[in-house]
Amino acid sequence: MRMRYIFIPAICVLCFVLPFFIDAYLVHVLTSIMIFLSLALSWDMMLRTGQLSFGIAGFFGLGAYASIIAVDDFSVHPMLSILVAAVFAALVAFALGWIVLRLREIYFAITTLALSSVFMIFARNLSDLTGGSAGKVLYESIFGGDPIRTYWLVLSVTLAVILLSEIFQRSRIRFAINSIRDDEISAKCSGVNIFKYLLFAFVLTSAIQGAVGALYAQQYAFVEPESTFSANFLLLPMSMALVGGIYSTIGPIIGALALGLASEYLKLLMPYGHLIIYGLILIVTILFLPRGVYGTITDRMVKKR
Amino acid sequence: MKKIVVSLLILFAVLSFARTIKIGAVLPLSDITGRQAANAMKLAVKEVNEAGGVLGMQLELFIVDDEMKPEKGAAAIDRLATVEKVDFFVGGMSSSVHLAQIPILKKYQKITVWIGAASYRCEEAIGPDADWYFHLHPWDYLQGESYAHGWRAITEKYPQVKIEKIFLAYEEGAFGTSSFKSYQDEFELAKKGTGVWTGLMKDLKGASFKSAALGGGDYRAVLLQAKQYNPDLFIWAGYDADAIPILVQAKEIGFAPKLFVGAPPGWPADFGKNPLSHGVILYGMWAPALKDVSPVAKHFWDAYVKEFNEEPATYFAPLGYTNIMFLVEGIKKAGSLDREAIIKALREIEYDSPVGGVLKISPSRIIKNQGFRAQKILQWQNGVQHVIWPFEYQTAELIYPFPGWEGR
Amino acid sequence: MDKKTIGYIVLVVVLLLVALLRPYAFFYGLQRGSLYGLVALPLALILGIVGLLNLAHGEFLTLSLYLTYVLFDKFGVDPAASSLLTFPILFAFGLLVYKLVIERSLKFHHLNLLLLTFGVSIVMVESFNILWTSRPRNIYTPYATTSIRVFGIHVGAYEFVYTLLAFLVLVGLLVFLKKTRLGQAAYAVGQNPKGAALVGINVKLVYAFVFGLSAALVALAGSFLSVRSSIFPHVGGPFTMKSFSLTAMAGLGNLFGIVLAGIVLAIAEEVVKSIPGYAGWADLVFFAVLIIAIVVRAFGRREG
Repeated sequence: MRMRYIFIPAICVLCFVLPFFIDAYLVHVLTSIMIFLSLALSWDMMLRTGQLSFGIAGFFGLGAYASIIAVDDFSVHPMLSILVAAVFAALVAFALGWIVLRLREIYFAITTLALSSVFMIFARNLSDLTGGSAGKVLYESIFGGDPIRTYWLVLSVTLAVILLSEIFQRSRIRFAINSIRDDEISAKCSGVNIFKYLLFAFVLTSAIQGAVGALYAQQYAFVEPESTFSANFLLLPMSMALVGGIYSTIGPIIGALALGLASEYLKLLMPYGHLIIYGLILIVTILFLPRGVYGTITDRMVKKR
Repeated sequence: MKKIVVSLLILFAVLSFARTIKIGAVLPLSDITGRQAANAMKLAVKEVNEAGGVLGMQLELFIVDDEMKPEKGAAAIDRLATVEKVDFFVGGMSSSVHLAQIPILKKYQKITVWIGAASYRCEEAIGPDADWYFHLHPWDYLQGESYAHGWRAITEKYPQVKIEKIFLAYEEGAFGTSSFKSYQDEFELAKKGTGVWTGLMKDLKGASFKSAALGGGDYRAVLLQAKQYNPDLFIWAGYDADAIPILVQAKEIGFAPKLFVGAPPGWPADFGKNPLSHGVILYGMWAPALKDVSPVAKHFWDAYVKEFNEEPATYFAPLGYTNIMFLVEGIKKAGSLDREAIIKALREIEYDSPVGGVLKISPSRIIKNQGFRAQKILQWQNGVQHVIWPFEYQTAELIYPFPGWEGR
Repeated sequence: MDKKTIGYIVLVVVLLLVALLRPYAFFYGLQRGSLYGLVALPLALILGIVGLLNLAHGEFLTLSLYLTYVLFDKFGVDPAASSLLTFPILFAFGLLVYKLVIERSLKFHHLNLLLLTFGVSIVMVESFNILWTSRPRNIYTPYATTSIRVFGIHVGAYEFVYTLLAFLVLVGLLVFLKKTRLGQAAYAVGQNPKGAALVGINVKLVYAFVFGLSAALVALAGSFLSVRSSIFPHVGGPFTMKSFSLTAMAGLGNLFGIVLAGIVLAIAEEVVKSIPGYAGWADLVFFAVLIIAIVVRAFGRREG
């Protein structure tokens, strides 16, 4: 138990000083991995309430656009724009949640997916505000493009998301959430206000996705409907959480590191056809580690006892 | 004895640290354009090295896949700069990937010779101060201007051709929309009597469609509007996946304008075989037929086929070759690896490119170092792409009007 | 008259109005929508009976398109006729994928199955890319471009084949599920797998057959689509989500509703596309109707 109090702060410090010991490329790769990690965690947090969301790319895109528009048209400071993006995504999620959170299972999934597409269509068509199909560019990336400061900012947000995920896992809130996931009807009978918890989770995870979208947009200083709302921002985080182990915090972290690093290095080893290997890795991992990497480890540990 | 050992050691040290010139390329290897550009670059590097290299040094080419994803393209630049430690950046295709790379390129400010990105947004993002940035691909608005020159020349040589009413069907993404925007801007100027389309374009109408490449492929609503409008020139701006379906649907609704023009960045494999293709006009940078009128184009064609056992299928092949050769010529002229000297040299040289044209640097709207400014007007005839304009590269006479659908 | 009948009558009236006022939109929508419905039915089959969302569904379509192309290009087989060949080939392929990947994962969390099919789709797309590159292929047959006069307008004749096929497959599936023993067993498995196993139904056999049948039905669509669509590695992808959307909109098990939903949505899209300047919003119609239909049904159920 006590080890944790030394171990975790040590890792955090290590993460902060890491950029001084590695090259800019690896800093860049790690920054990307953290973006996907935060998305994976936010997806998992919603999943813990029993709701499968396909909408993470939608709120990611909303946050990206909100952030770029805030900086470009309203002269908001880039770092503040991340907060703006999170709040905007949260408000949209709050408004939509009243309708959408009555749905369950595949209906919730497909509706959140449809909403993502709707956001993209609005981004594409409201040209005066969003720059239309060509998108919007900023003159400068956040911090003037300084990779280390960008890394620190993304790291800070990611650590905050990890903290939120742990709070979800450990605090009293987890009783309500687990009971909703396992059996909604019993939970209701026990007096759990299901809707309140679902709305809270939905708003919180959407805010995270919006903030991460803003980080991405500020790093590359542009938004564009097709690439900003890309399905990659849904499918990759989902894969990372599943491969690493859902219903946990460490699972998505493992998954994001494994898949993120694998995809980058596979392509360097195999310029043509590396995606086939990536797909095979996904298949094989799920076939042999159905509870994800972390899930399998905890299973083994339980068995050992 | 000691002196001999020391001098041998020094010789050994000098030889083992023999410098190579490192070039870093970022390309979409999963797409035919990136794949063939990569091949063409490797061919160019091989030719240069076999001829003795540059300034006595061999070239080393590092290619990283951008996977058509902005963050991967950007990370690739970082990798090439910090791991492979390249001296120059080349390559490119997608505009949205390039948008993400621009902040990273600005960080390193290495000499960059880019063959991708046609969107004006990229030019805006680069800005006017990037002396180290050379952009070879014509910007979308430059392409539009060049077609005006082309049609003016064509309507003078073939007086029966007129192009006063133009209908543009554009795909609803960034590529199609910026094409339409360029046309609209030019039309506004033409109405006032200024701009290159004055006297040529008297009316312009446009409609958007979802490209087949992105899950669409149903153009009938747009084609119906075009049919009603009855244009002199119909042009569609989309992707290679749209080329045949749009012809098929045009035939289906009986729409056969006098000029049927396609402007995708590439053409599908079986377009020539399709009987509907005969008479279709296309905008492009290059055609295989150029090897019959240009010795440089022929040399490239033969060398590429010999090396890779496949034919160049996209203009990115000769463009990739041009990318390397142009940079090499610049270094040779500068006589050293000094950055300012090379920038100066690149601005001065003229390179006869297998793309079919002489490459010379001049300023565009925002940046100082723009390469190609024009595309060509070509026509599919009996399964072969022929150059109609510029006339010095013409390989066949224009067939006008578009033959219609009878008997196809 | 209950709500459902009133709803259908209103729908028919609206469709007739569209047919009169915007005949092109009506016919194009009918054709396109039938295609969407035709491709969606096999996905609904797997979703309803195996309980699995097959994210590689669109890639099965792409595979059938490439197969048809190869048969046409190398052996001169007429694309429509090649459906006789692609049907069994894809059936076998579906069985193969099921045996290799799905069967051993059935007891896993349903999300794992989702991810597995995602992995399969990546492997398939990349394989197509390696074998045929990203450059599109096309098949040309003269009959694919014929048009006929209907109510005074020129409409493409070929694509009505999707409508024909959609209804044939619909009727075929309904007959299969209600009248044949295997079909009834499949239906039972879809309702309650554990109960079905208890009464002696070989659940794994049913799953395997359904998977194969789904792939084979997709091949049917693919062979007929091949003469009208460009063929490239990512061509099938958009069909997966479209099929899923239609299935969710109509409700699992409502096979007729899936085809109807496809047609109605496609007609709505075409109507929007025919308004100059608003084509970019056509997609919105699809998603808006989808969301509204799902939400209304969910709220309706609560009150009922």
